[in-house]
Formats: sequence, structure tokens, C-alpha cells
Amino acid sequence: MPDEKTSGPGEYVVQMKQITKIYANGAAANRGVDFNLRRGEIHALMGENGAGKSTLMKMLFGLEQPTSGEIFVNGEKLVLSSPSVAIAHGIGMVHQHFMLVPSLSVAENMVLGMVPHKSGIFIDKAKAVELTRAYSEKFNLHVEPEAKVMDIPVGMKQKVEILKALMRGARILIMDEPTAVLTTQETAELFVELKNLKKQGYTIVFISHKLNEIMEITDRLTIMRKGKSMGVYNTKDVTKEEISRLMVGRDVVLSLQKDKAVPGDTVLRVRHLEYINEWNKKMLNDISFDVRRGEILGIAGVEGNGQKELVDMLFNFNTPNAGSASVNGKSILGLPQQKIRELGVALVPEDRMLYGIASGASIEENVISDRSGEKRFNKGPLFNMKAIHAEADRLIKEYTVLCKSRSQQVGMLSGGNIQKVVVAREFSNHPILILADQPTRGIDVGATEFIRKKLVELSRSGIAVLLVSADLNEVMELSDSLIVMHNGSIAAYFEDTAGLTDEIMGEYMLGLKKQSVEEVRRVCHDQET
Amino acid sequence: MLNFLKMLATPEFFYSIIRISAPILFATLAAVVVEKAGFANIGLEGLMMFAALSGSLVSYYAGSWFWGFLAALATGVIMSLVMGFFAFKLKTDIILVGIAVNMMGSGGTLFLCKVITNLTEGKAMASTTGLITRSLCIPDITIPLLNQIPFLGRVLSGHNLLTYLAFLFCLLTSLMLYKTPLGLNIRAVGENPDAAASVGVSVMKIRYTAMAFSGLMSGFGGAFMSMAYAQGWSLDMVSGRGFIALAAQAMGGGECLGGMLSALVFGFAQALGIKFSAIGLDSNLASPIPYAVTILGLVIFALVRSSRIRKQHSAAALAKGKAKAES
Amino acid sequence: MTRKREIRFIIIRSLVAICIALLVATLLIFISAGGDTFHEKLEATGEALRQMLIGPLFRMSKKKGTSFELKRLADILAAMIPTIFTGLSVCIMFSANQFNLGAEGGIMLGAFVSAMVAIYVPMPAGLHAVVAVLIGGAVVAILMLLPALLKTKLSVSEMVCSLMLNYIIMYVIKFLMNTYLADKSRGQIMSYPFRETSAIAPIVNNTTFSGAKLTWGFVVAIVAVILCGLFMYRSRWGYAIRMIGINQAFAGYSGMKVGSVIVLSQVLGGFLAGAGGGVEMLGRYTSFSWSALPGYGWTGITIAILASNNPYMVPLAAFFMAYLSKGCDLMATYAKVPAQLIDIIQGVIFLFFAAEQFLAKYRQKLVVKSAEEEIARLNLNKEG
Repeated sequence: MPDEKTSGPGEYVVQMKQITKIYANGAAANRGVDFNLRRGEIHALMGENGAGKSTLMKMLFGLEQPTSGEIFVNGEKLVLSSPSVAIAHGIGMVHQHFMLVPSLSVAENMVLGMVPHKSGIFIDKAKAVELTRAYSEKFNLHVEPEAKVMDIPVGMKQKVEILKALMRGARILIMDEPTAVLTTQETAELFVELKNLKKQGYTIVFISHKLNEIMEITDRLTIMRKGKSMGVYNTKDVTKEEISRLMVGRDVVLSLQKDKAVPGDTVLRVRHLEYINEWNKKMLNDISFDVRRGEILGIAGVEGNGQKELVDMLFNFNTPNAGSASVNGKSILGLPQQKIRELGVALVPEDRMLYGIASGASIEENVISDRSGEKRFNKGPLFNMKAIHAEADRLIKEYTVLCKSRSQQVGMLSGGNIQKVVVAREFSNHPILILADQPTRGIDVGATEFIRKKLVELSRSGIAVLLVSADLNEVMELSDSLIVMHNGSIAAYFEDTAGLTDEIMGEYMLGLKKQSVEEVRRVCHDQET
Repeated sequence: MLNFLKMLATPEFFYSIIRISAPILFATLAAVVVEKAGFANIGLEGLMMFAALSGSLVSYYAGSWFWGFLAALATGVIMSLVMGFFAFKLKTDIILVGIAVNMMGSGGTLFLCKVITNLTEGKAMASTTGLITRSLCIPDITIPLLNQIPFLGRVLSGHNLLTYLAFLFCLLTSLMLYKTPLGLNIRAVGENPDAAASVGVSVMKIRYTAMAFSGLMSGFGGAFMSMAYAQGWSLDMVSGRGFIALAAQAMGGGECLGGMLSALVFGFAQALGIKFSAIGLDSNLASPIPYAVTILGLVIFALVRSSRIRKQHSAAALAKGKAKAES
Repeated sequence: MTRKREIRFIIIRSLVAICIALLVATLLIFISAGGDTFHEKLEATGEALRQMLIGPLFRMSKKKGTSFELKRLADILAAMIPTIFTGLSVCIMFSANQFNLGAEGGIMLGAFVSAMVAIYVPMPAGLHAVVAVLIGGAVVAILMLLPALLKTKLSVSEMVCSLMLNYIIMYVIKFLMNTYLADKSRGQIMSYPFRETSAIAPIVNNTTFSGAKLTWGFVVAIVAVILCGLFMYRSRWGYAIRMIGINQAFAGYSGMKVGSVIVLSQVLGGFLAGAGGGVEMLGRYTSFSWSALPGYGWTGITIAILASNNPYMVPLAAFFMAYLSKGCDLMATYAKVPAQLIDIIQGVIFLFFAAEQFLAKYRQKLVVKSAEEEIARLNLNKEG
């Protein structure tokens, strides 16, 4: 049953009650979440990645179905079985990755699927342009109807997406991380537009984790953490610190036994790295840090603050606009990946299925992919199969990969075991620097524990480790020192993770606090900067 | 040499270029539309063979070219839909489906020809040229006023009905792609199927439609081969035009107009070859020209495209530098 | 799924695909069979099928019954020689996920070049054939650099490029034959005869083997199979080719030189096709008279699909195709069914073999069954 207040201003236009979503593989994205929207408000849905906010809104838009729970729209209980149903009830979604066709014009994208006809078979281009202009003016969202989508800036692309939803009758707009791709200027414009829409009676859900923006523009906010709702608050009644505490925090604090690190010489030296992406957004801003032998340097931060771009630079998936990065004095920027490996760098990639493994190949074939040309595995033109079998068996045993045999297809293994195959390879070829990007994401507890223990072990044996992780437990417990990235810059450097609290982490991760340049510079362990 | 060039400067030569380009053009349009929808149909060669055979046979049995013509079209459409089923439903790599159709299109058509003629004529024939008379072929059309213009008149008038249709379809296909909702959907599905699906466009339906269009065009092309270009069907009569069409599509930048120009280039090369043998030169010297021109064209196109991308990147880099200075 | 179940699934799937193809063939045979009544046609169909399925190895006569003929087996084995080479060629090229269709032109060019060496370059016996074949292979290998490099450097479709090359090769060879190289004293267009020193001898010098042209070329083909198998599964280059074919992003990230390896796979494929042409030409013929692309390339593609790009399976697939082909030839001779039926059968088998979703539901059932059994076994272990 819906609650009262389903008519008149301020009434509940959407009510989601006790929503639970459990996927087929057992992962729970939402647990008993209550969420409601008042008519004409801008409501923030906050949480770190994996908190469940995207999933919740996907269910509101009909892209997914709840395992249990009820959804009421305008007082009516609904089963949102597909986006069409949601759209029919006035719900529209502006996706993070735009659903636009680049070579088509703005107007053509607007009317796709509901094209106005002229004499039965032709597109009434004039009408489409007129419609676009009409909506554009009505909502004060300036777009160029005849420009091709691939030629317009990101901010305008987003406006087109918004207009698309509005044109299809949306009175409730779900915006998924709308400012992730916008520059500061474009963000300001967006906020003006949203306030305008609110004035016209539209309701907006604003999925984000950017505290400043949320404080600026929203009326209420719901905080999610690990699939549960931490409560709904009036924005003006709550401080950033309180939000931070609710958003960023560990329910269970894992405590890892590890010896204190004795860092040695610098292995990886990064200086003044800068990167502007294809949409003209600055993703890396004057990044400088050192990683030394025998220490684990963690990079903490909410995803999307430049961590992915940084790792891409370090393994030549992309090149920066400025700056340097060197391993033992040799530059690795733009170096062919084979050469980077020859320098002793190993990477545990974030996308393990795309880069980490060839899922159709055997475990053995996967685990030697970086060393197939080495002398010890080759006897003249052919492989030394005995040596390769021995290596594979050794690695499978040492990394406790649960499998039927070394010739089993890697894609058949569980996620945790697949990751073990990846790390078995990356850790075992005597690297001097390990880049670990989200190394335990989405895998079982046993594999997670094992991989973390291994990382510490390797670090203590003298290897330099750069750990990028959105998992707070992981990055706080594994790292000896850590830096926090926010908005493409280093917001903080903590030489010793002992004594760090979730609160402090939250404040830096969400941009509430920022260390001074001198404090951050301390992560560079040499005289010159 | 001069004599040879004089031979080229005749209206008959240009007439033959247009005539030869027409079937290639049909297949090119098929390739263009299918690529716009986001995939490739490399079975055009085989589709044209089957269409050519069915057109020829049915026109003989029905006693009129019209029914044969329709049969050719139907054959192309139906077979292309079966291809679509294997590619989209049974998830066979569409390249392999195309290869399979081509494989069957070669000997398979000869087999069918022999078997069917054996049934109806009492003896297995390896081609239908013995059965087809002029009246069973698609007629040529003389355009009254046009044919009186000196030089141009003999170039442009008197072509086969299908030749005119080929160039007309080039225009119509371009119109379809850029001026109709169907074309819009095709281009959307080809570039960003998620975007199309998100506004309710059925991606599967559009893919099948594009496939059927390519089958239809192959039907026209095949009909042209056996009922206009030649009188009757014979083995391997399509001789690679289906593959040349793939190249013409690529060389033409994936657009109808570009494809048409590319098809004309091949037509020119082939007409040249015929002229070569007319003056006693081995036709085998000129025959490879269209294929070599294809490779050359693909290379040029790739070079142009990569330099354009490089320019884009440097423009973007300039913009980045600007943004950085301002940020 | 358990390995045994996986193998059983593959066998069942293959058999179903073949059965469907044979069903289609039977239907077509029935339509084309002689006879006026249904009964007569059925009999004729039966006769044709017998010729197709049993004929290739067994002689059937009303008087003596059915008897195995060694010559027939020798014929099939000899027919396999060119297609083993093209099959291997395609296996290697397709393993890197590149659809280079140049085996067709490659085998013709290799045959031609070997023929030229056989005619115009005098050499001692034994050495002559070897050198001719190697040169034939080398020329095609070099030619394959074109589509390979165009693909890796400029992203030009290797498929269109190789298809065009096929035609160019055919016409250039025809031109050269017509104008310069034809032995004008003969009726049809053919080159001068090969020097005797260049001939590849039959394995055993008796009428069966030399009649069937079962030459040492067959042994060379088998050796090539083993070498390719070793290359693909036991060498770092074959390994790299396969990994690139499975996941190119993974291969690059692992440090493999993707571009170079792709070029290598196409060059090797070219060599195999060219060498195959040489072996076939010098083993079966005494002069060069091919005036069109021979079709071995397309058969090679079917073989590669049947063999799942595994060189060791190529002889089996080649035998299967040669058997069917001979069966269709026999049908043509004795049952008046046109031999080109083989193209249709080949296409149907090809389609069903390559269809991933073919019998996918059945496969899914097997996967689930295996998983359930695994869980049951684990539970049992726990309790025990």
C-alpha cells in the first residue's frame, strides 16, 4: 500500500518499498531498500561504486526487475517490466554513457523511434527540427538541431539526452552520474537547467557521489552503502562530514597481519602527469608520486577520479599530454607493452576478462602468456613442454587455483580462480613493480584473502606495489602508505595508514578536504621534484 | 596506341562501361546498405548466382521475362533471409555464412540447372543459353528524345531496363538511407544498436530488413546477368562481381554515390579489357585490372582515412592545449 | 562440462550436421534421379546413395557383389594431397582470426611457379622437385605479405584483398600461358612438358599407386600436417597465433607482437598453399594446363572449419571431403546425378558446423547436468 501524500505538491510521486535485488550468481545489489521521491524535488542518490544506487534506478526504469519489493508511481503499484513501460508512466533516464548515434543530427536522434512523416515515406526533417527547437526553447536547453552529434560538445550531448527523455513525456528524470563527463563550466550550465526544470514541476533523481554538487543543487538525499539505504535526509539539514561518514565506511574492519614495511629505493617515479580526454575533460592534473621497493602504495578514491586513466598511462594503453613516468630511470610512457614487461613491470588489469585472460584457452596457456619466448621454455624451435607443464603445475599449486587440470579452459573457472590465474602469471615472473588495479573486485572471499596475502608477501620480499582499489578495506589495510585521488589530483598523502579512520578517508575521497601542495609532495621521495 | 585510344573515344565504349557497371552497382548497393546496418554480407556472389539461375529458368517455363525477373528477386530475398537466420539466430559468423553461400553458389547452381533441366527437358543442361531466346530476356529501352542527341544519345539510350534501374536505385537507396525513417533506423542500428534499442527500435527486425534488401539487390544483379547481360545462365557467370561490390563499397566510403563511382571504375576496367581483346591483345591482360584497381583503391582510401584521423587527433591536441591553457 | 561429455557432444553435433547435409543431398538426388514412378525414383535414389556412400572404397557389381578396391582408396588419398595443404594453410590463417581467402589463388600460383621451375630450370632428379615446390611456396608466401601488411598497417580488409589477389593471379597466369608459355604444338592451352627430373614419384611403383597418382606428395602432406601441428601447439609462434585469435587484446597486453604474428600467419599460410600447388602439379601432371582457379582453396576452408583449425584433424576432414567428392563423381557417372552436388553438401555441412548456436540448447542441458553432478559429488564428499 502506498503511503498518504500521493496528491498535491510535495506528495510522493515515486515510492520504492523494501526493494531487494539478488542476482543469479548470489550477489546482492540491493537489500530491503526504501526510496521515495517527492514531486518537484531534486533528489540525490548517493553512494560509492557498488553501493547499489545504479541498480536501484535501473529497476525504476524497467531495465531490471526487483527480486522482491514494490514500486508505486503516482500512487499506482506498477511492474516496470521494460523501459517502454517506465517511459509510458513518465519516467525517463539519462544514461551515463549516452544513447546517441554519432553520425546522425541532433534532431534525428531526438525523433528516433517516433519519426514525423512527410507524404507517408519521407522524414519530415523540418518538423523534426521544429520539434527539437520547440523543446529546446521550452526547457531552455540549448542544442543545435541540425548539427551532427559527433560534432557537438559533451554538454550539449547531455542536453540532447535530457530533451529526448522530456520529449517522450518524462516527468521524472533519472540522471546517472551526469557530471562525470562534464567540465566545470558545463556542470554549472547543467545546474541552471535542472533548477529550471524543477521550477516547471519536474522531478529529478541525481545519482552522484560528488558532495559539493549535491549540496548545491539537491533538496533531499538518500545515501546507500553496500546495497542498503543509510537513510534519507534534507540536504540543508545535514553536513558534508555527516554524509561522508554515512557514505564511506566499512561495516567490518578487516585487519591484516603484516610486518612493517622497510621501503628501499624508488622504483616507479611519476612526475607531473597530465591528461585531457577526448571530451576535453582534464582527467589527470599534475600527478606526481614515487613507489619504492618493499612498500605497497595504495591509490584510494571513488572511481572516476582519474585512477583508471593513470593506470592506462603506466602500461601504455594511452599516452598522457604531459609529464613523465619511469621505472628505474627508464621512461615507460608510450613504450610497447612487451618492453614495459621486460623492464619488470607486471599489471593485474581491472578488466580481467578482456585483458587478463584468453577465456577460450587453457590455464596453462594463460599462465605463460608473458614468458612464452623465454629460453627456459623453448628447446630450439619448439616449446620445452616439460618445462612449461612444470611451470603451470607449480603456479597452479602455489596459487591454489581450483581446477581439474592445467589444460582446463580458463573461462570455465570461477571468478576467483580466474583472478588467481591472472595473478599467478603477473606475480611470478620476477617483477620489480606490480600494478594491481582492483585486484579483488567481484571474487570470493577465499581468493580475495589469498591474493591480498600474496601481495603483502611479495612486497616484503622487495617488490614495489602500486595498488589501485575502490574497496576501502583493501586499500586501507593492504597499503603501507596511500594517496587519495579526487578530481584527477592527489588530494592527500598518508605516509602511514595506521591510525587512518574511515571518516578521514571519506573527507578526502569526497573532496571535503585537500592537503596542501607541500604535504602531497611528500609522496615523492627525492630531493628534486 | 593512338588507334587504340581512338577506339576508346567512341560512344559505344562509354555505353559498354555503363552496361558493365550496372550489375556491380546493384551488388554494391546491397553491400552499402548492409554495412550501414552494422554487418557485412559477403555472400552476394552466391546470391547473384542463384538469382541468375532462377530468373533464367522461370522465364523459360513461364514464357515471359517478367515472371523470371520476379523469381530472381524472390530467390535473392528468400536466400538472404535464410542467411540472416544462420547469422543472427544460430550465431554463425556472418563471414562464414557468406562463404558457405558462395561455395554453394558455384557448383550448386550448376547442379540445380542440370537437375531441373533434366526433369523438364529430358536432358541435363549445363547452362540455359540453349533455352533462352531474346524475347525471354529483359528488354532494352530506347529513350525517344534522348537517343537523338549526338554522342551522348548513343551512350545513354538503348540500355537494358535494369541498367536504368540500377542507377535509379542508386539514387533511391541514397534517399532511403538519408530521408526515410527506415534509413534512419538502419544507420542507428549500425552505429549504436543500444541507442536504437533504447528508443524502441527493433534491432533484429532492422538487421533482417537490411539483409533482405541486399538479397533484393542481388536478385536484380543476378537477373541482369542472365537475362540482360547474357542470354541465359551459365556456370560462374557472375565471376567475382559480388566480391568487387564489397571492394566498391569500401572504396566508395560506404556511400551510394561513392559506390556508384567505384562500380563505374570497375566497369571501365572491364570494358577496357574487352577492347583489348578486340584489337587482338590478350583479354587476360586487362581482366586483372579491375581487381588490381580495387586493391589500390582500398589502400588509397585507408591512407586518406588514417591521415584524416591523424589530423583529427592533432586538431584535438590543439584543442587540448588550448583547454589546458585556459583551465 | 566433463571432457568426455564435451567430446561426445562434439561428435553428436558433427554427426547431426552431416546427417542434415545428407538428408538435403538425398532429397536433391531424389529429384534428379531417373525413373518415372515414385518407386523407380526411390530405387534410383538408393542406387545413387550407395554409389556416393559406399562407392568410393568399394566396387559394386551385380555379379561379384561388393568388394573393397585398393585403387579406390588410393584415389581418395591422392585427391587429399592438395586439400590437405590448403586445409593447413587456412587453419593457420584463420587461427589468428584473419579471414584470408587467398589459399585458392595461392595453390594455383604455387603450382604455376613450380611448373616453371620444372620446365625451365634443369636440375638433378630428386632435388628438382624439392626446389620447385619450395620456390612455389616461397613466391606465394611473399605475395601474402600484401594482404597481411595492408591489414596490420592500414586496416584494409584482408578478405577483400585476398579475394582480389585470387583473380589477379588467375588472369596473370592465363595471360602468361596464352602469350608466352603455351606449347603451341598441343591442342588445348598447356605449357611445355615438365622435365622428367622434376616428377614426384608414386609411393610404390605399381599400377595401383601410379594410376591413382598416389605420390610421395602424400607423405609430404602428412609430414606437413605433423609440422603444422607441432608449430601450432608446440611452438611459441603457433601459440601466439592462437592466442591472438582467441583474444587479441590479451595477446598484446601479454607482450606479444600482434602485428608481426598476424603477418607471419598469413605468410605461412601462403607458403603452405603454394607448396601444395607444387606438390600436386609435379605429382599428378606432366605439364601445366590449369585455366581456372581449381577450387582446392574453398575445400580447404571447409576442411579447416570441420577440423576446428586443428592441423592434426585436417587429414581426417580432408579424407571426409575427398570421400564425398569421389562419391559425387561416382554418382555422376553411374546414377546420372550431377557431381556438383558436392558443393551443396559442402555448404550445408559448413553452415551447421560453424553455427555456434546449433544444438546450443542441448549443450546447455549437458552443462547443467555436469554442474549438478559436480555439486552432488562435492556434497557426497562433504558428508563422507
